[in-house]
Amino acid sequence: MSEGLTIPIGPQHPSLKEPVSFLITLDGEVVKKAVIELGYNHRGLEKACESRTYIQDLYIIERVCGICSHAHSYAYCRCVEELAGLQTPRRAEYIRGIVGELERLHSHLLWLGVAGHEIGFDTLFMYTWRDRERVLDLLAEIGGNRVNYGINTIGGVRRDLDENICQHILDVMDGLEEQIKYYAELANTEATLIARLAGIGILTRDDVIKYGAVGPVARAAGIMDDVRIVEPYGVFTEIKVNGVTDDHADVYGRTVVRIKEMLESIRLIRLMVKEMPDGPISVRAPRRIPTGEIIIRVEAPRGEDVHYLRSNGTDKPDRVRVRAPSEANWHGMKHMLEGFHFADVPIIIAAIDPCYSCTDRAIMLRSDKGDTVTDWESLRRTGIERYKKMGIDPSKIRMRTSGV
Amino acid sequence: MKAEETILRLKEAFPDIGDDLKSPSPLRVFTPFLEPKRFEEVLIYAKDKLNYYRGLHIVGTDEGENLGFTYLVSNADGVILAIREIVPKSNPHIRSMSDIYPAMLMHERELVDLFGAEIEGLPEGPSYPLPDGWPKGQYPMRKEWNPKYFNKMTMTYEPPEEKATDTATAANDNKDNAAKTAADEKSTAGGGASK
Repeated sequence: MSEGLTIPIGPQHPSLKEPVSFLITLDGEVVKKAVIELGYNHRGLEKACESRTYIQDLYIIERVCGICSHAHSYAYCRCVEELAGLQTPRRAEYIRGIVGELERLHSHLLWLGVAGHEIGFDTLFMYTWRDRERVLDLLAEIGGNRVNYGINTIGGVRRDLDENICQHILDVMDGLEEQIKYYAELANTEATLIARLAGIGILTRDDVIKYGAVGPVARAAGIMDDVRIVEPYGVFTEIKVNGVTDDHADVYGRTVVRIKEMLESIRLIRLMVKEMPDGPISVRAPRRIPTGEIIIRVEAPRGEDVHYLRSNGTDKPDRVRVRAPSEANWHGMKHMLEGFHFADVPIIIAAIDPCYSCTDRAIMLRSDKGDTVTDWESLRRTGIERYKKMGIDPSKIRMRTSGV
Repeated sequence: MKAEETILRLKEAFPDIGDDLKSPSPLRVFTPFLEPKRFEEVLIYAKDKLNYYRGLHIVGTDEGENLGFTYLVSNADGVILAIREIVPKSNPHIRSMSDIYPAMLMHERELVDLFGAEIEGLPEGPSYPLPDGWPKGQYPMRKEWNPKYFNKMTMTYEPPEEKATDTATAANDNKDNAAKTAADEKSTAGGGASK
């Protein structure tokens, strides 16, 4: 009898956009054993933080992850603020809440697209990533950048939201809600999607507890671990979150949870914009932080983000420790893969939404000829003209959504 | 189980550490640094008797001559219990807790690579997170390790003078930094909070 065929996937592989290595041993088409090797992206950020000041570290911490940069910088700021005894203004907490939920929207839309792509449903990928662009444009309008928005600072936020931006946020939410309801309907009715996602990558309730899985992976197995509910912080002490759980415990369950969470995020954003109080947006922070240690958690799009910070009375931290949600979800991955078909490996891996730092790109394109800046509309026009030359006229195709 | 009850139960079971338990906020409990055997007893008690069923992660810290390992576990009420052990840098030998909390496995591998912990009972598997070819005996998260002297091209750690001066150099660096900080402070008091 053979020992089974061992296939290496990664660290460079077309279906995994970030470096991670899997050694998959197969028995026929079924995964018998999976060995996961991580660490290709280790950048030594925690060490780097120890030799820089608290405010410099903020910019390092924000770059832990391109997608949930706000969650990391928020957790870090809360650590420093609590150690320094700072009371952040309520308006700042509302702005942090709005940006956090926008981040959740863009992260979940990105995930839904990646999931579609992994199962060969590229139409879904194109739809969701188009919608995600609208959220990224909003974030760029708020913070000046599509990712790493730099909204947080120690003691509050760096930029205020004026009436125009608030109105724009509400307008975009209207369009997005329509789209996301459509995705929810799709997840409920589209037979191919359900057949491809249901029953694979199962991680039961007991296994979630055993392997310490967090976020949508845990909630899809019926465990409510949303930090916004378990340990409300900031704006969520005033605005209650309706938690989303599911009992499928598989990739389909994770999809349903994420789609429902997007609808909840839209509700929260509307509420926060409406209830946002007037007032200052930050308080003055000291350079030197009193000696102490603290553990803070924040609900990132992928789950619970835990930060530990120890200060020593100087302007530099003694120890910064970041436990990103993806790090917690890797432990259960081996278990999720074993016993399922090889063809399902990419979508099972994608279903925990591992941290693919693939987000940063230019918001506008400069033409080769000079200073002309190309916006979205002219880019679309250029595309249509190009296809017309090829004998295809896509100009009659209407965008599905309105109100954006 | 809330933080107060956790402290009461731990005090009952381990009277010798009872006075050093701290609860800086309603959902946090910190034990003092314990020697490895005592640490293991407390950790198993927390899992079996106090129902701290979720392993969150491990924070390694440099404690001068020693290394500190803080295991974070939590329960259904969202309380995080930080159970800590301390071992000398000269003999950083501990037992793996990944059989009790499987979610700690990767974090323990991290302690091996970054702090040089020797962990008995750690299952076989790829190391994490340092790359293949990382020089033996170099533990970057220890305070005396200075990234300035690491050559990324040759993967060698070369402090400027023979032996000895890692810590001395680090101390000098700190002096320089302190002077720089003082100068910075004069010019930009107030940090990043501008509005």
